Amino acid sequence: MADNRTASIAIAGGGLMGRLLAWRLAQAGLEVSLFEAGDLTAPGGACWTAAGMISPLSELVHSQRAIFDLGMESLSLWADWAEKLEAQSGRPVNFRNAGSVLVAHGKDRNELQQFQRELQAKLGDGIDGDLRRLDRTRLQQLEPALESFEQGLFLSREGDIDNRRLLPVLLDLLRRQGVRLHEHTEVECESCAISDRRGRQPFDCVIDCRGLGARHSIDGLRGVRGEVLVVETGEVQLQRPVRLLHPRYQLYAVPRSGGRTVIGATEIESEDLSPISVRSTMELSSALYALHPAFAEARIVETRVNCRPATMDNLPHIHSEPGLVRVNGLYRHGYLLAPALAVRVEKLVSEQLNQVA
Amino acid sequence: MSAKLELYGERFDSRLLVGTALYPSPAIMRESVRESGAEIITLSLRRQNPEQQQGKMLWDYIRESGCRLLPNTAGCKTPREAIALAEMSREIFRTNWLKLEVVGDDYNLQPDPYGLVEAARELVERGFKVLPYCTDDLLVCRKLLDVGCEVLMPWGAPIGTGLGLLNRYNLRTLRERLPDTPLIIDAGIGAPSQAAEAMEMGYDAVLLNTAIARAQEPVQMARAFRLAIESGRSAHAAGLMLQRQTASPSTPTLDMPFWQQSDPATQ
Repeated sequence: MADNRTASIAIAGGGLMGRLLAWRLAQAGLEVSLFEAGDLTAPGGACWTAAGMISPLSELVHSQRAIFDLGMESLSLWADWAEKLEAQSGRPVNFRNAGSVLVAHGKDRNELQQFQRELQAKLGDGIDGDLRRLDRTRLQQLEPALESFEQGLFLSREGDIDNRRLLPVLLDLLRRQGVRLHEHTEVECESCAISDRRGRQPFDCVIDCRGLGARHSIDGLRGVRGEVLVVETGEVQLQRPVRLLHPRYQLYAVPRSGGRTVIGATEIESEDLSPISVRSTMELSSALYALHPAFAEARIVETRVNCRPATMDNLPHIHSEPGLVRVNGLYRHGYLLAPALAVRVEKLVSEQLNQVA
Repeated sequence: MSAKLELYGERFDSRLLVGTALYPSPAIMRESVRESGAEIITLSLRRQNPEQQQGKMLWDYIRESGCRLLPNTAGCKTPREAIALAEMSREIFRTNWLKLEVVGDDYNLQPDPYGLVEAARELVERGFKVLPYCTDDLLVCRKLLDVGCEVLMPWGAPIGTGLGLLNRYNLRTLRERLPDTPLIIDAGIGAPSQAAEAMEMGYDAVLLNTAIARAQEPVQMARAFRLAIESGRSAHAAGLMLQRQTASPSTPTLDMPFWQQSDPATQ
């Protein structure tokens, strides 16, 4: 910039991506404004619905190599960022880097083998050490609650983060950093400007991370419905995310503090946001029941429904033009991809600002 | 034998029909469909809350493939459910073609023959061109023809198992006893060789989904199936040789007196 003033950045979308970027860019000394169409305290986006899994290996089975590479990068960024976030806010975000366990019932034992084969086919020998077969004894040591399973797989480089803690912590830090927060403000993004119903505001750079809110700006962006249950019980406690492999669906259970377990998620090609269906409730709860019968007495304390923003290739997209960067299509991989993508967006933004200068 | 596949008066060059589910992404699905050469693709509305048209974005994307759409009633367990979904599909996709599924068993998704016949009768009356997903039982197949189905789609094996042609005797019987009915093997095919075998047996076409969608390289697998099906069809048309117990050299061996070269089986 010609003058010496601080560069101004507008971020559209106060979901995970928007918050992380706002936090990072404000830390870098930029003047950040964050615009959110909905509520920042109770976000309506997929980031609030998600279970917060960071599982590059498990997700690779049904996706492409890029997801794994970005995911591995994010996993190590999370370890660093979670520590910073906790130190800055004085509040926990419960990032857990304890790996994940996969199990399958007797009849579906082939699913474990198939899973392992697919990972090996995609990663070659690169997964040695990251993937371990568990016999009954070792499974018991890792996850005492999974006593009805004879075998499983352990993926050491997987983690998760408590999104219901992380997102408020980020919001709190943004306030402290002096980020200008505009809730209930639907905006349109263009190069070096944000416009809402009150008018048009200029910025040095605009970042569009509105998720499905950017539907009209990004070709082929669609919503993929997902449904999640949250249950509570004092009777059974998992130690880490557990996936149950089944020929027809893949469901996971993520333990949270206070005896809670998040179980998800369905995947339906529809932008339908109506409440969870009976069928999905049955699928999710029967998967949970299959993990341990004591879950039958758990209480369903919440059901969540949302749509994941996805492009037709189900890969994340970053689009950059002077004065405008768009990032979208994180699909079912929000927590898995956000830090790695944030780093890329930061780089693009700083390149743009330097060019202007 | 006609070179083209004829179903309900329409002709197709391709004898491979594919599903649109389970792919890593819609883009890979469309690329695989293109590579498979398929001209007919099935798709399901179930679970998408079709009344609200909220899966429209993907349907339009599928439609752009240019293939004939064959909506299915996957997941329906009663004739009433299947008929309701069929009507909705006809309206949304503007086609009266229907892959009729009435599932009778949750575990292997086996077609319920009674519900299937009942639903087929009603749907034919309502003007649908019904392609029923059925078992390989001759009498069920005949019943389906009696109520007005002109094409049958017997299973090779239960959906998604990849077990291939489980009951060759039944499948051969169907082919022999229903020589004029277009027969499509639907479900259970895991490998191109199994698809080729179905075509060699004289089946008119093969419908599959999982084997392509769940392959590590779906586009490449789509090509493999296209080639296998062309190959199997060609083999059937060319007339397969009969298997023999004794080797017979295809070129006479020069250092052998020719009276020893004849086939012992014919002596």
